[in-house]
Amino acid sequence: MIKQYWTKQRIWLLIFLMVVGIGALLFTSHNEQFYQQPIAKVISKKTLSKQRVKDQFDNVDHQYNQQLQVKLMNGKYRGQKLTVQNTYSDSQPMDQRYRVGNEVFLTQLRKRGGKLTANVNGYKRDTVIVFLLWLVVLMLLLLMGRSGMFAFLSVVINALLFIIAIEIDLKQNGQHIMLLFSVLAIIFTFISLLLVLGFSKRMLATFAATVIGTFVALGVSMLVFMWTHERGIYYESMEYVTQVPRPLFLAETLLGSLGAVMDESSDIIATLFELKQLNPAVTRKQLFISGRNVGKSIMGPLINVLFLIFMVDTFTGSLLYIKNGNSWGYTYAMNMSLGTIQSLISGIGIVLSVPLVSLFGALLLGKKVQR
Amino acid sequence: MTTITGLGLVLLILMVLVGGKQGWTAFLSLLLNFGFLYFAIILVAFHVPPLFVTVTIGITILAITIFMGEDDLRTTVTAFYASLIVLCLILVLIFIVEHWAMVQGFGTEDSDELEGMSILIGISYFKVSVTTTILSSLGAIAEAAMAISSGLTEILENHPERTNRQLIHSGMAIGQQIIGTTFNTLFFGFFGGFLALFIWFLGLHYSFGTIMNNKIFVAEMIEILISFIGVLITVPMTAWVMTKRRKSVVDNYPKTK
Repeated sequence: MIKQYWTKQRIWLLIFLMVVGIGALLFTSHNEQFYQQPIAKVISKKTLSKQRVKDQFDNVDHQYNQQLQVKLMNGKYRGQKLTVQNTYSDSQPMDQRYRVGNEVFLTQLRKRGGKLTANVNGYKRDTVIVFLLWLVVLMLLLLMGRSGMFAFLSVVINALLFIIAIEIDLKQNGQHIMLLFSVLAIIFTFISLLLVLGFSKRMLATFAATVIGTFVALGVSMLVFMWTHERGIYYESMEYVTQVPRPLFLAETLLGSLGAVMDESSDIIATLFELKQLNPAVTRKQLFISGRNVGKSIMGPLINVLFLIFMVDTFTGSLLYIKNGNSWGYTYAMNMSLGTIQSLISGIGIVLSVPLVSLFGALLLGKKVQR
Repeated sequence: MTTITGLGLVLLILMVLVGGKQGWTAFLSLLLNFGFLYFAIILVAFHVPPLFVTVTIGITILAITIFMGEDDLRTTVTAFYASLIVLCLILVLIFIVEHWAMVQGFGTEDSDELEGMSILIGISYFKVSVTTTILSSLGAIAEAAMAISSGLTEILENHPERTNRQLIHSGMAIGQQIIGTTFNTLFFGFFGGFLALFIWFLGLHYSFGTIMNNKIFVAEMIEILISFIGVLITVPMTAWVMTKRRKSVVDNYPKTK
């Protein structure tokens, strides 16, 4: 295995990726000139004072005043040193404790009486993202080879499409967000499946099944919404809302469940095609039953994947609510109810696709036998 | 009836209709995972060390997802061991990355929601950020481990004479088949939640540099990328665990059938 695995090509690929990685990391840790905002590096720090703070809910924390000596890394004062003040706490919710060597963004940098003054406004984080991205690409290419490359490509293309769609949405002021993201969902599905599976009948079948499954689930959920008069949905608790919350929430849910439904559909369809290949005389009923068997064993884990992604995001907010003396019920309603609804709608999509996809695959492959 | 109850009932009915007993267990696992997740929040709020909570609740969620998702013990035990090893590995990686990125707590974009709240709660948001990053990747790790391990169990069942080397090779081949769709599941799962934030960023014309250094964006990106890495490590790890456990898998064949 080891000898077969480490072919000449792979070794060159590894060397190439290493060089690219080191280059990218060196670049992002020395790219201050490309930023317009002033950036400075901490060269020494001193803690001036420590203060105990206690709020009305008996939460005890400590606040510290930190004096940082920083060296400017870009702009017209490049190379000059100045002293800035920083406040941080033990829990560090929105403040940061800086260490020597950290790079920070500055605002209101000006010269007053021959001395530079500025405020600290955040930490430089781009190197971390570049490092992790590089790690993912390295592992993908070395472990997964060609299919890894296509998986990565589909993620990149989807991310670009996502940004284009948001630009269109902003031009329309969010008027047709549901329509826009429904169309986008269909394009997303097509491109992702094209790259993952290649253009084939199997890919077209998976594509059709995914689209039908996702939209039927959304339709069923809308019926439940109407039937229960959307009681207990707190759109006002949505985060980062700059447009009408309800359609935005539905668009988020649609996109969120799409990948999982695609995952499931492609698994089922792949099995059905394999069965057809092993036994060309297989009946529609047999195909349907096997599809259902594959589907029912993967639907549970898949729903859990999305559930954890949607719900864990609300962890920090919920913690804050509880520590601010809110009841457990209110904490749930204000932080987690939207995540729950998203998980449930995605769950319905995932479950509904099982019979839909199996039926679709059975009809498609069954017909060919009769001809 | 609230909408959550309504949707929950619809999901329960559909799951039982489609999956029978297995559907019912899957629904139960969802409820249990919710219970343990909420319990984790309460524990952290009562100042139980977040790292301890992460590890115990993490193992519990993995066990629920894996053992309640599939009945075949040969598949599940392998998947469980493999995902435990992956959990330890990414825990180390997350500690390094979170320490480096400092994305704990809230960003300036959260200011609206935090109005009137006391945010200095005396619990390290750094440790909480480690907890959330790990927990959000567990589902994907469990799912990948199960896919690889059930595929390998099937191969061992039909060809018990396969060498360890061939087995790892087959594991990687299955991994190549699932990696594309798994990445898409994660990508859309995370980007679905990203939509509102991205509309904010682009609507207010954040520059590329600002976005790349934005606390919330970087935090979300770390979650996605760590999940990707978790899934990627899971593939060879599960194949490796299967080579160690192959004896019990082959021996148990007649008993479980």
